[in-house]
Amino acid sequence: MLEIDKLCYTSRLRYVNAGEKCFFSLASVILCIVSRSIPAALLLLLASTYLTVQRGGIFLGRWLKYLTLPLFFLLLSTGAILINISQVPLDAFALPVGSLYLTGSREGVFQAVQLILTALACVSALFFLSFNTPMTDILAVLESCRLPRLLIELMMLTYRFIFLLLENASSMLLSQNARLGNKDLRTSLKSRGLLASMLFIRAMRQAGSLYDAMESRCYDGQIRVLREHQPPRRGEILCIAAFELLLLLLALLPSAAPAGWIM
Amino acid sequence: MTRTSMTHREKLLVALSGIFALSFAAAPQAKAMHIMEGYLPGGFCIAWGLLCLPFLLAGFFSIRKTIQENRKALILLAMSGAFIFVISSLKIPSVTGSCSHMTGTGLGAILFSPSCVSILGIIVLLFQAILLAHGGLTTLGANTFSMAIAGPFLAWGLYALLKRLKVNRRVSIFLAAALGDLFTYCVTSLQLALAYPSQEGGIAASAVKFLGVFAPTQLPLAIIEGILTVVIVIALESYAEPELKLIGYYKEAK
Repeated sequence: MLEIDKLCYTSRLRYVNAGEKCFFSLASVILCIVSRSIPAALLLLLASTYLTVQRGGIFLGRWLKYLTLPLFFLLLSTGAILINISQVPLDAFALPVGSLYLTGSREGVFQAVQLILTALACVSALFFLSFNTPMTDILAVLESCRLPRLLIELMMLTYRFIFLLLENASSMLLSQNARLGNKDLRTSLKSRGLLASMLFIRAMRQAGSLYDAMESRCYDGQIRVLREHQPPRRGEILCIAAFELLLLLLALLPSAAPAGWIM
Repeated sequence: MTRTSMTHREKLLVALSGIFALSFAAAPQAKAMHIMEGYLPGGFCIAWGLLCLPFLLAGFFSIRKTIQENRKALILLAMSGAFIFVISSLKIPSVTGSCSHMTGTGLGAILFSPSCVSILGIIVLLFQAILLAHGGLTTLGANTFSMAIAGPFLAWGLYALLKRLKVNRRVSIFLAAALGDLFTYCVTSLQLALAYPSQEGGIAASAVKFLGVFAPTQLPLAIIEGILTVVIVIALESYAEPELKLIGYYKEAK
């Protein structure tokens, strides 16, 4: 049911060391956000598309579909940043509405373009991580970052239970649909409430039986699992370092911002 | 009543309604308002993260204490986190014909205590960022603050207050969930406004703009979320009493 989760198990980059992938995404995202440089953002966008589509073997159409997913938020909020309501028109554009203007300045337009590109590049880097790395590997990385054990276990169990519950929920939804349970707003609200409460009951029962099963297998408050070990390779580390350096150089280039614009 | 004499206010109204209509048309999927990856400047990401830290630590310590007393609590908590994730990933029916997602903040705060919702919330938000591509890693702090701390705390406080005032249960659940959801949306707008103050009028004008832009999707969502939470809680109370006792929902009623 979770498409991204399925994709990352089929990706060809799945067995690359997860720490490397996490470092690549996070470092690039941070560089892009801090610098807000347009060339760096374009480079990152290209790099994560290349890595995911060409090296990871994810279908291009699917990649593009996911990249357009945050577009709604991006357009609405960038629109809100770009457009000012003012009594005096600014220099880039002005649309008179009554005595007021919907207007924007050149600086604002530049800032908006910069913001859209940075955000898209960062999203692509995040997608690179989530399309090529199974959640369990990410949790292992978090564990080696010395996050408390309790938190890691909580996350591991939550991750497992999500699929149990999703399966339950989708079969309930299917049978509700088959019985016209979603025919109008009123019935669908009622059946959604029923679904949620049944889901909750099942979740708690399953948790109970799971706990009994674990207890009978000597559960002592800690879950120990064997991790698959993929050591980092020197070539990959060098490539990532070179890429981040290039990104840093691009980020340090003087941007074409109008004078007086500080970020 | 001549056709030419449209006052300024009328023109403004027409223009605004046009914007609203457009944003409906452009909204095939209204999501809970996660700030996307890379949208906030670095300083703000860190600041919101730091602001979440005391709440997260308090939540962590309270969870650790519960688990030391009762090992089963770990499984129950994980199941609850998964429950919130699944509920928020299901599409809910919406008035506008578009489909949207519940945030689950109000439900979480009413069922579990707000301190453990902060921890469950950050886990759910992390999974949403990685598995569903909603939200992001650098904006995790800001999203956690609005959705797992501010919203649930308001919902829980309101629910407790209305319960003490002996307001009708359905009304109090509805108000807690709907206003918790609205508060989340206001906090998110404020977060965006603080990061991107308007050139004309500063932070306040910018906040108004963000509130206005997201209102068409978020206001109906809050109402639907309120109604759904009422339906869910009432159904839970009538069918799932033993399970609710398990998570400590009935502790205060005794």
